[in-house]
Amino acid sequence: MAQSEKRYDVIVIGAGHNGLVSAATLAKLGKRVCVLEKENEIGGMARNYEIADGLQAPRIAHLLYNYNPVVARELGLAEKIDKAPISTIALSDDGRHIEIANGALRYADGAEHPDAAAYAEIRRKIEKFGKLLAPLALRSPPDLSEGLSLAGAGEAAAIAKLGLELKMFGKKDMREFLRIVLSNIYDLALDEMPDGEVAGLLAADAVWGAWAGPRSPGTVFLLMYRYAYGADPSLPKRGAGAVVDAIVDVARSRGVEIRTGAAVSRLNIKNDAVTGVVLEGGSEISAKVVMSSLGAFPSMKMAGPQHYDVETVRRLRNVRAKGMTAKVNLVLRQEPKIGGVSLAQIAGRFVIAPSAKYVERAFSKAKYGEFPGAPVIEFVMPMVSDAAQRGRYLLSAIVQYIPYHLKGGWDDAARDRLTALTIDTLSQYIPELRENIAHVDALSPAFIERETGAPGGHWHHGELSTDQLLTVRPVNGMSRYAFGVRGYYLCGAGAHPGGGVSGAAGRNSALQLLKDGVLS
Amino acid sequence: MKLFKSAAKPVAVARELLPTPFFDKLDAVSLVKNWHEWNGYLVADVVEAVGKEYFAIRNQSTLFDISPMCKYRVKGPDALRVMNRLVIRDVAKIGVGRVGYAMWCDEEGMVIDDGTVFRYGDDEFMLLCQEHMFTWLHDCAWGFDVSITDETHNFCGLALQGPTSFSVLKEAGLESVADMKPFDLREIEPGLWISRTGYTGDLGYELFTDSQYAHQLWDRLWGAGHKLWGLIPIGFDALEIARLEVGFLAPGLDFQPVHVVSRINRGRTPFELGFGRLVNFEKGHFNGRRALLKHRDEGSRYHLVRLDIEGKEPAKDAFIYSGRDKVVGHVTSAVWSPTAKRNIALAELEAPYGGKVKNGLWAEIYVYKEGAWQRRQKKAVVVETPFFTNARSRKTPPDLF
Amino acid sequence: MTKCDSYDAIVVGAGHNGLTTACYLAKAGLKTLVIEKNEQIGGAAVSTELYDGWIYSNCSYVCSLLRQEIIRDLELPRFGLQVVPFRGGVNLDGKGNYIGAYPDHYVMRREIARHSPIDVDAYDRYYQLVMRQCRFIRPFLLRPAPDPTSMKPRDIGELIYLVKRMYDIGPREVGEMIRFWTMSIGDFLDEFFESEFVKAKFAGSGIIGTGLGVYSPGTAYVLLHHYMGDVDGSLGAWGFARGAMGAISKALGAALEEAGGEIRTDAGLGEFVIRNGKVTGVALENGDEYRAPIVASNMDVKRTILHHVGRDKLPGDYVKAVERFKIRGSSGKLNIALDAMPRFPDLPENGEIFQGDFACNTSLEMLERAYDDWKEGYWSSGPYFDMLIPTKIDPTLAPPGKHMMSVFVQYAPYDLNVGGVRSPNNWTDEKRDAFAECVFDRLSLVCPDIRERVLHAEVRSPADIEREVGLTEGNIFQGELTFDQLLFNRPAPGYAQYNTPIEGLYIVGSSTHPGGGVMAAPGANAAREILRKLGKTTAMPTVADDEF
Repeated sequence: MAQSEKRYDVIVIGAGHNGLVSAATLAKLGKRVCVLEKENEIGGMARNYEIADGLQAPRIAHLLYNYNPVVARELGLAEKIDKAPISTIALSDDGRHIEIANGALRYADGAEHPDAAAYAEIRRKIEKFGKLLAPLALRSPPDLSEGLSLAGAGEAAAIAKLGLELKMFGKKDMREFLRIVLSNIYDLALDEMPDGEVAGLLAADAVWGAWAGPRSPGTVFLLMYRYAYGADPSLPKRGAGAVVDAIVDVARSRGVEIRTGAAVSRLNIKNDAVTGVVLEGGSEISAKVVMSSLGAFPSMKMAGPQHYDVETVRRLRNVRAKGMTAKVNLVLRQEPKIGGVSLAQIAGRFVIAPSAKYVERAFSKAKYGEFPGAPVIEFVMPMVSDAAQRGRYLLSAIVQYIPYHLKGGWDDAARDRLTALTIDTLSQYIPELRENIAHVDALSPAFIERETGAPGGHWHHGELSTDQLLTVRPVNGMSRYAFGVRGYYLCGAGAHPGGGVSGAAGRNSALQLLKDGVLS
Repeated sequence: MKLFKSAAKPVAVARELLPTPFFDKLDAVSLVKNWHEWNGYLVADVVEAVGKEYFAIRNQSTLFDISPMCKYRVKGPDALRVMNRLVIRDVAKIGVGRVGYAMWCDEEGMVIDDGTVFRYGDDEFMLLCQEHMFTWLHDCAWGFDVSITDETHNFCGLALQGPTSFSVLKEAGLESVADMKPFDLREIEPGLWISRTGYTGDLGYELFTDSQYAHQLWDRLWGAGHKLWGLIPIGFDALEIARLEVGFLAPGLDFQPVHVVSRINRGRTPFELGFGRLVNFEKGHFNGRRALLKHRDEGSRYHLVRLDIEGKEPAKDAFIYSGRDKVVGHVTSAVWSPTAKRNIALAELEAPYGGKVKNGLWAEIYVYKEGAWQRRQKKAVVVETPFFTNARSRKTPPDLF
Repeated sequence: MTKCDSYDAIVVGAGHNGLTTACYLAKAGLKTLVIEKNEQIGGAAVSTELYDGWIYSNCSYVCSLLRQEIIRDLELPRFGLQVVPFRGGVNLDGKGNYIGAYPDHYVMRREIARHSPIDVDAYDRYYQLVMRQCRFIRPFLLRPAPDPTSMKPRDIGELIYLVKRMYDIGPREVGEMIRFWTMSIGDFLDEFFESEFVKAKFAGSGIIGTGLGVYSPGTAYVLLHHYMGDVDGSLGAWGFARGAMGAISKALGAALEEAGGEIRTDAGLGEFVIRNGKVTGVALENGDEYRAPIVASNMDVKRTILHHVGRDKLPGDYVKAVERFKIRGSSGKLNIALDAMPRFPDLPENGEIFQGDFACNTSLEMLERAYDDWKEGYWSSGPYFDMLIPTKIDPTLAPPGKHMMSVFVQYAPYDLNVGGVRSPNNWTDEKRDAFAECVFDRLSLVCPDIRERVLHAEVRSPADIEREVGLTEGNIFQGELTFDQLLFNRPAPGYAQYNTPIEGLYIVGSSTHPGGGVMAAPGANAAREILRKLGKTTAMPTVADDEF
C-alpha cells in the first residue's frame, strides 16, 4: 500500500507573493500549510533570477508600489525588507528631462518647472483619494446579499466608514472624488497643464499593466490604486526577490512546507467539497482547504467546470485579462550614460512617456494586437553598484503596450521584434546602448502567462476596471475568495483587490477562509 | 424547413409564419382556420370545434402537431455528464430507450424551462422543450466533449393521444409498440421514432421523423385511424383542457421561464412549482444546486397548487383570497373539466398559503354574461392529486378497443 | 429706441428643453418669455426646406426619448405632434452581407441565425438584460439627481429611493448593473456574441454623439441612454415625428403660446443682467432689455456661463468646473435630397428594414479605428454613419417619388487638424467637401449609385452645428455622457439641480441631468426645481412606479 501523504490543513497552489502571504498568514495562526509551485523557483512575478552567471535580475516586478504596510506589519516583514523610495526621471526628447524627487516636480537639471503646482495638486488629490480607498483593499468586498445580516455588518460598516471619511473631506474634495473616480487621466492631467513629460508621466503611471489608454475612463482609479501608499515607488535592495525571500523566511519559520517543481494537475473533490490535490505524475496530497493563487479562469479549470454553475463559467471565461506588458532585461558591459542625467540621478526610476498623447498612440496600436510605434517604458538599473564590481550592469525595463494577443502570435521572430523595439526606443535616450549590450532577455506577455499562470500575462490576473472590481471581482457573485466548491479559495491577484506586490489578496483570502469556518 | 427564401442574392429572411411539415394536412381538414404562432410556425388553436376535439382525446384518438417544439441533440462521450449538469434530476437513471420529464434551473435555482429528455443511446440524448436552449446548452457543454445540434427545424413530430391510439398504431402496422411501457422510446422502423409519452395523461404516443417523411407519416396514421378509430386532429385549446386535468405545467403561464422575463423576481424554484421530488442533490453538482440547497432549507416563497373551485365558471386570471379580503395569489391556468365535472385551476399562492395553510381560500371570478359583469367569490379547495387519472394510460400492453 | 419689458421668467433659447421649461412655467401662471437667436424656434429640432419641396430635420432626426409623460401633460398631440414608430433598420458590410432588424421576434431570430446560430439566443439574453436595466433607470429620468454631499432631507430622500430600488433588484442584479454602467460597449458585446458583424450592428448606439470609442469604458451606458426611451410603451423603440423633428418644437411653441407665454425670435442674447449675484434680466444683442427675476438658459453650460455671464461674476471653482466640462464635437451631418430611391443591391427589395436606420459597421475594430482618427483631429477615414430615409415613413417630406436622406456621421472633429494645427477654422468649404466625399465613398459601399441620385446635399461639420444651433463644438448631448458628467456631476458637482451660483439663473438644457437626446426631461425637471423655489406646487410628470 502506497504511503499516504501527510495531511495538511491548507494547500496553496503557486508560490507567488500572494500564495506565500496566504501561507504565512495561516501558518502564523497555527495551520499546517503546504505550498506547491510548478516552477523550480519560488516567487512568481516577484522573483529574482540569474540572468548571467552570478548576476541576479528581477524577473518581472522591479519596484514596489502598493507594498502594503499592514500586510508587512502583520507578517513582521518590515524589518526584513530594505527599501527606499526613489526619484523618477521622465525622459524628454529634447533632453530637458523632468524629475520627481521627494514629491516635488523640477527639471532634472534642478530648474523650476512651470507645472510644478498643478502636478502637486493632482498628486495630492490622487494620494488622498487612494489613501481613502486603501482600507477597502484589506477587507473582503462587501457581500450585498448579506447587506442586512449580521455577517455582512462588518463590510457594510466599512463602506459606511468610507462614506463617513469621504464626508469628512469636506464638500469640495468629496465632490472632486465623486467626479474623477471613474474618469480618465488624460483629461484630468490636460485640464491642468499642457501635454508634455509631466502629463506623460501621470498617464504612464495610470496605465502600467493595464489594457487601457490614458483616454480610457477608469484610468484615474488605476492611478489611485497605485498611489494609495504614496506616489513614489520604492526600490527594494536586492530586487523584488528580496520581498519574496522575506515572506518565505517568515513562512518557513512557521512551518510552511514549500515544494517546487510540484505542478498540480487537478483538485480532488467529494460531495462538493475539496479533499486535496493531484499532482502531475499522479501523487495525491489531501487537505481540508485548497487555495489557488492562479488567475480565476485557470483556477476554475483546475477544479473542473463541472463543479461550477453555467453562468459562473461563462463569467469566468469573460474575465478580461489581456496582458499589455512585457519585460526586457539587459546586461550591459559598461555603465550606461543618459544625456542630461547626473551620476546621482541614475539610480532612480526612468520613464519614457514624453506626452499623454504618446502613451495614447502606443495604446492605439496595441489594442489591435500590433506593436506600438514607440512603446512606453519604465526602467531601472537596480544593481548598478553591485554589478559594477564585476564590470557588468543591469537594465530592467517594463515595456508597456506589448499585446498578449499579438497579430500572428508570439513566436521567436515576434520576440526579436520586441527586443529590437525596446532597444530602439531606449537608444534614443541612451545613445551608446546598442554596442553596450552583452545579453538580452525579453519576456513577452504570452511567456509570462506560461511561466506564472497569470491569464494573458496580465499583472493583475484580470483588468482592474470598474466592471471587475470589488463586489464583481473576479466575477459577480464570487467576490469573497470562496471559489465555488467548499474549501476552495482564490488567493491571487485575480481576486480583490488585485495585483501589485502587495500581498493583500493573499492575506484577505486566508482571513476569510478562517472566518468561513471551512477548517473546522 | 426553409427559414430563408432562397440562396440567390440578396438573401431575404422569411418574414411570414411558416407552415409546419404537417400544415397542408391540417389545413385541408380545418374548418375554422384558427391558427396562432408557435416558434415562428403556424399551428392550430382549433381545427373544428374544441368540445369535439377534447372528447376525442378522452374517447377516441387525436393528432396534435408538435413539430415547432425545440429539439436539441446532445451527443458525445460527455453527453450524460452534460445532461446531468443541465437538469435537476439524475439522468443516469433514464435508461437507453427511455424518456424522462426534467426541469432545469439557473444559478439561483430558478426554473429555466421543463421538458423531456429522450435517451437514444449511452452517449446520445434529445432534449424537447418549449424555450430556446441552443446557446444555453453550448454554455452548459463548455469544457465537455459533446456536440450539440438544433434539430428543431428538420425533425417533425406528431402526438397521437387517446384510448384508441394503440389500435391506430396496430392498424398502421406498428403493432410492435405493444410492449412499450410508459416513457419507453424506440426506433420502430428505420427513421421513425416512437415514445410512449404525451401531454394529455391518457394513453398516447409521440412519433418523430425527418420532416421529409411528414406527409407519409400523417397519411399512414390518418388512413389507419380516421374511419376505424375516430382519429381526428386537434388544436391547442382542446389540449389545454386535457393537460390541466392531469396538472401538467405550461411555461409562460404556470411559471415564467427565467431566461425570457426581464422583470426581476419572476423566477420560481422547482420546490415552488411542486417538483421538489425531482431534485437530486446526491448526483454531484448540477446547475443551481448550491442555490437549491439554500432554497430547500429556507423553504418555498410560493406554492403552485391545483384548485377545485366551486361553481362552473373557469377562474381565469382570478385573484385568490385568504378569507374575504387578503389577496394571497392568482390563478395561472383554469378550465372546466368536462371529464371530472369540476371547475379546476392551477394557482400560484404566496407561502404559507397552499403549503401549510390550505383552508379558507376563495377565488374572485369576474363573469361576463350578455353585457353585464358579475363578481363572484367562490370557494377554492387545494387538491393534491390530478383531476384525471386512468389506468388505461399505463397499461402494458395497452387495451385494444 | 430700446424696449424694456418685465416678465416673471425668461427662457433663453427655444430648443425643446427651453420650450418645455417655458410651458411649465407659463402653465403655473408665470408671465414667461422665450428668446431665440434664430428666426425659427427649435434649436437642433427644426424642420426646414432643404430644397424645393424637401422638408428635413436640421440636426436631430429621430425621436424616442421624448418623454411621453411630457407629451401627454402638455397636450402636444393637440398641437399637431404625431410620433410614428419605426422598427426596421439594417447594418451592411459593403461586401454583400447585411443584417436587418425586424419587429417580429421570430423573424429577428431567423435573421441572426443566418449569421451565427449561437448568437440567436444570445440576442434574446442581451435584449432582456438591456431592458431590465432600462426599467431600473427610467424612473430616475424625471427625478432630480440627489447631491450625495448634501444633508438636505430631499437629497437624502432621493438617495434612499435609489438604495431601495437597488435593494429590490437584489445583489446579483446590482453586480450586473455596476458592470453594465461602467463597461465599454465592445467588451459588453464580446461577452454576448461571437459574430463580429452582429456585434458591430449593436455597437453603434454605444458611441452615437460621444467622443469615445467602442472600447472606451462607459459606452455601454451610452447604449442604454439610447434604449431607455419608448414609443407607446414599447421600450427601446424609436420613431419619427411626422413633419420632421421641427414638429416637436412647433407643438411646444403652440402649447406655450396657448398657456400665455411669449416667444421672440431673431432675438440673440447679449448678456445676462446680473446685479449683486442675482440675475435681473437679459440684454439682447440689439440692445433690447427684458427684466425678470428668473432666467432659464437652454444653452449648454459652457456657452451660458463662459460666454454670457462672465468669469468675474462667479466663484473660481465653478468657472473651473464649467471650463473642464467636456462638450466634444464628434459628429457631422449630411442632409441629402434625392431624385429617386438609390439602389441597395445587397438588400432585398423594399423590405420593412428600409424604414429604419442604415449603418455600415463591419466590425468593432472598424468602429474603434474610426475613433482613433478623431482623437488625432481627423474625420474618420472609414466613418460610422447612421443613415435614415425618413420619406420611407413620412412621404410628405418630399415630392412624390422623391426621397430625403439624413446621414449622421461619426467621427468628425470640431477642431480639425490641418498640418498639426487644430482649429475649428480649419473647416473651410474645401475641407467640408472633402469630408462629404469621404462620407459618400462610405455610402457608395452600400448604395453605389448614391452620387447620381443627389439633387442637393447639405453638409454640416461640428463647427457648422455650433455656429447655427449654438451647441458648443456641435455636440448633440450638450456634454459627454461619461460618469464624471452624469447624475450629480452634470453639469458641475454641487450645481446638478439646474441651479447656478447666480441666484435666479438656471440651466435647463441637455447639459443637465439626465442629458441629451430630445428627451425634454431636463427642461421639465428644471421647471419643477424653479417652481419649487417659488413655493409653487404644480403637479409635474413622473414615471409611474408600476410602469416597470
